[in-house]
This record gives sequence, structure tokens and C-alpha cells, in this order.
Amino acid sequence: MIAVEAKNLTKRYKNKTAVDNINFTVEEGELFALLGVNGAGKTTTIRMLSCLSMPSSGEVFVCGKNCVDESYSVKSYIGISPQDTAVAGNLTVRENLEFMSKVYGFDKAKVKSRCDEMISLFNMNDVQNSRAKTLSGGYKRKLSIAMALITEPRVMFLDEPTLGLDVLARRELWKAIELLKGKVTVILTTHYMEEAEHLSDKIAIMLDGKIAEMGTLSELEELSGKTGLEDVFVEIAERSKN
Amino acid sequence: MNKITAFASRNIKEILRNPLSYIFCIGFPIVMLIVMTIVNSSIPPEANMTIFRIDNLSSGIAVFGQMFVMLFTAITVAGDRKEAFLVRMYASPMKSIDFILGYMLPMLIISVVQCFIIYVSSFIISIIVGVELPIMGMIMSLILLIPSSVMFIAFGMLFGTFFDDKAAPGICSIIISLGSFFGGIWFDTDGTGGLMLKICKFMPFYYCTKTSRSAMSLDFGFENFVLPLIVVIACAGLLSAVSSFAFKMKMKADLS
Repeated sequence: MIAVEAKNLTKRYKNKTAVDNINFTVEEGELFALLGVNGAGKTTTIRMLSCLSMPSSGEVFVCGKNCVDESYSVKSYIGISPQDTAVAGNLTVRENLEFMSKVYGFDKAKVKSRCDEMISLFNMNDVQNSRAKTLSGGYKRKLSIAMALITEPRVMFLDEPTLGLDVLARRELWKAIELLKGKVTVILTTHYMEEAEHLSDKIAIMLDGKIAEMGTLSELEELSGKTGLEDVFVEIAERSKN
Repeated sequence: MNKITAFASRNIKEILRNPLSYIFCIGFPIVMLIVMTIVNSSIPPEANMTIFRIDNLSSGIAVFGQMFVMLFTAITVAGDRKEAFLVRMYASPMKSIDFILGYMLPMLIISVVQCFIIYVSSFIISIIVGVELPIMGMIMSLILLIPSSVMFIAFGMLFGTFFDDKAAPGICSIIISLGSFFGGIWFDTDGTGGLMLKICKFMPFYYCTKTSRSAMSLDFGFENFVLPLIVVIACAGLLSAVSSFAFKMKMKADLS
């Protein structure tokens, strides 16, 4: 079943086309990566998919609902972890999680059970009573993702989930994201090749607002004649320039 | 309602855990209450100056305190916008009305509690200086200050919506200065007359202080109480509508 579908999706600003007529589908339970350098249009795409920005033209559907006309319904299916961690700094880890689950209308018992589940899943037992603003970058990211996941979304958007993290924190977060595979549809943006290679079922390479190529890693390797995502990316980027 | 309660609860926690809110919303008004009581005790009786007498002073400082709630409303809204917290919440099934009430209701609670603390402090001071402070007047003033609370919170919402977290506190400081000056908190505006009184009457702050002082002295006459209260309620209603509309439009623009 298709979880997300973009049809001729375009976003134009005054002097720039940030996303240029892109098309893709993401199957339910798939982990789909939008890979590209800074300014490639990844975040703009995620914003349109999560009802945070209106497309200039084209359509986008999440769980069969139109993100423009049925945005209220779409918002109840999705969870987002923005590029900036976006947590409530003066609330503790547990209070942040409780807050999100209450916004989605969970009853008291469910709020508690989901919070316990998230704290355990993301290994945040030691910091559950610490205020979010005192957490390290890695824990803030984990909390941000947990806040998106606690609402039981069918589709999750992770915008540069490991940006600025050290290698150990990144690896730990990858483990948490891998646990979501098959259970939740995940769309993540990244400019780290190894992240897309390690986590994704399907990768879309974005260059200057367009999807240059899309497929599994082996399909992209076959297509470019190169091995490893970094070489594949460079080859596709150079081909696209010429 | 769940969404409003959850968001309001988050906002109240954010403010109560910021030590600056105690300094500005409680500490500073109480310090001014003490300082001005000392000033009052130094004024000779033949000067016939009653503006700093505890009954007049406390009801004026209650309005002064509300202006700091405006400041913290603006800081909270502007801060959430800056830190992408609102981006996450925009992607949730919260509507603009949930955000608006979620910001305004906790501020209203904080404002009423602040006013209560100011009046309790004033009552203690009144016993120390040996001046009678009517308990019924304090209760009436506490209740009748709610419209001006709403007005200042709406001001805060408006500034937090339009300005960033650096500019919004600056704008609020201007309003605090103008409001306390033209509102007649620190001098008897009615005693000035002329252009000065016309300017004061042109601004809503004058009517906030007038309502508060009249309620404190249990003077419910048309000129001193009813008319000022009507003006404050009208301003509170208008500003709430304008700030809600502005927030809604800003949210729409952010999502365009």
C-alpha cells in the first residue's frame, strides 16, 4: 500500500524554484531517504509532505489524503522531527512526551504507557526527569524523534536527524531509527551518504530541486556503474551537470 | 479542549520555570510597592499628595504588574516561533484557536495570581504603615482587573506574533514605560489637566488604572468606574480580536 505519493510537486519562491516537478511514491513501512547537498530542496519537500508548506503546483498525498485539501486529517497521521530539535526547553523529557501525547488526545493510562515505551526505546531512562534544555545534542535529537513517534504516526518525517551529532551519538540514533523499519513509514532527509546507505530501503538523490535518480542502493549502483553511495552520488551529480 | 489544556499547561510550566518571570512579575512590583511607600512616608502631609498612599499605590502597581505579564506573553510566543517549536506544533492537529487560547489562558491565571500576591503584600504594608486597606476593595479590584489583564496579554500576543524574540521585549518595554507614565501609576493624571490629561485619556492605560483605583475605593460611579471599565473591556475585546486575527494570519503565512 502506498503511504506517500508526490505528483509533479513544485515549490517556487520569488526568484527560485526550490523543488522542481518531483514525483515519487513511498510504500507503507518503507524507509525512504531524500539525499542531497545543502540547498537541494530536501527540507522544502519534507515541509510540503508534512503540511507545513503549500505546493506551488502538483499534489501530495499521505495515506491517501491530500495534504492541501485534507491537511487536518493528514496531520493526525504524521509525526515530524524538524531540523531544529523543537523541544520545550523548560519541560523535562517525560513532560515533553506527555505534552505531545495529550495534544493527540491520549487518555491518562495511554499517556503513561507510551511515555514509558518511548523512554525505554530511546534509552532515556537516566535523563527522563532532566529539563530538555540541559540535554546533550544527541539526547535532544532522540527526544525530538520520540516526540514525533509517541503519537503513533503512520508516517514519520525526520529532517536531518543526525545533523551535528558526534559519531557515537549518530550510531545510537541510527539503531533507534532502524527499529522503526517495517512498523512506520519513515521519510528522512540527509546529506550524510553513509546515513542514507545504512538506513534506507529506497534513496532519492536530489540535485537543484529535482530528483536526479531514485531506487535502492543496488539499483543506483547498477545505474551509475559505481560502488558505494558516495561514488554513486558523485557520478550522478556529474552526469546531471553535463 | 484537550489540546488547549495540554498547550496551556506546557506554557504555564515554561513561564513558572523561568526565574526571570518571578523577578519581573512579582519581585519588581513588590520592590516598587515598598520603595514608593517609603517615598510616601517622606512626603509632608501639607503637600496633600495621595498618589503614593497604599490604597492608590497598590491598585496602580497591580496594573503595572500586568504589563510584565504582557512582556512574558510576547517572549513566550516569539521564543516558540524562533526555536521551531511552533513548526512541530503546526504539523500537529492543533488549530489556530487552540494556540491562541493555549497562550492566553495560562497568562490570565498568572496575571490574577500576580495581582493577588501584590494585594496581599499591600495589605501587609498597610498594617505596617497603619493605613487601612479595604479588603472588599481589594477583592473587587482583583476581579475587575481581569479585562485589563486580557488587554495586556493581547498586546503581548500581538508583539510576539509580529516581532522576534529580541525585538518583542524592546517593544514591550516601550509600552511598559508609556503605560505606567500615561496610565497615572506614578503621578496624578487627573490633577494635571490640559494636553497631558487629553493624551492620557487617549490611551487605554489611564482607564485601567482608573478602574482599579475606583474598585479599590469601592467607588462605582459612572464617571470614575463604569465608563473606564467599559473602555477597558472594549479595548480588551478589540485587542484580543486583533491579536487572534494576527496570529491566525501569521500561522497561515508560515504555512504558505
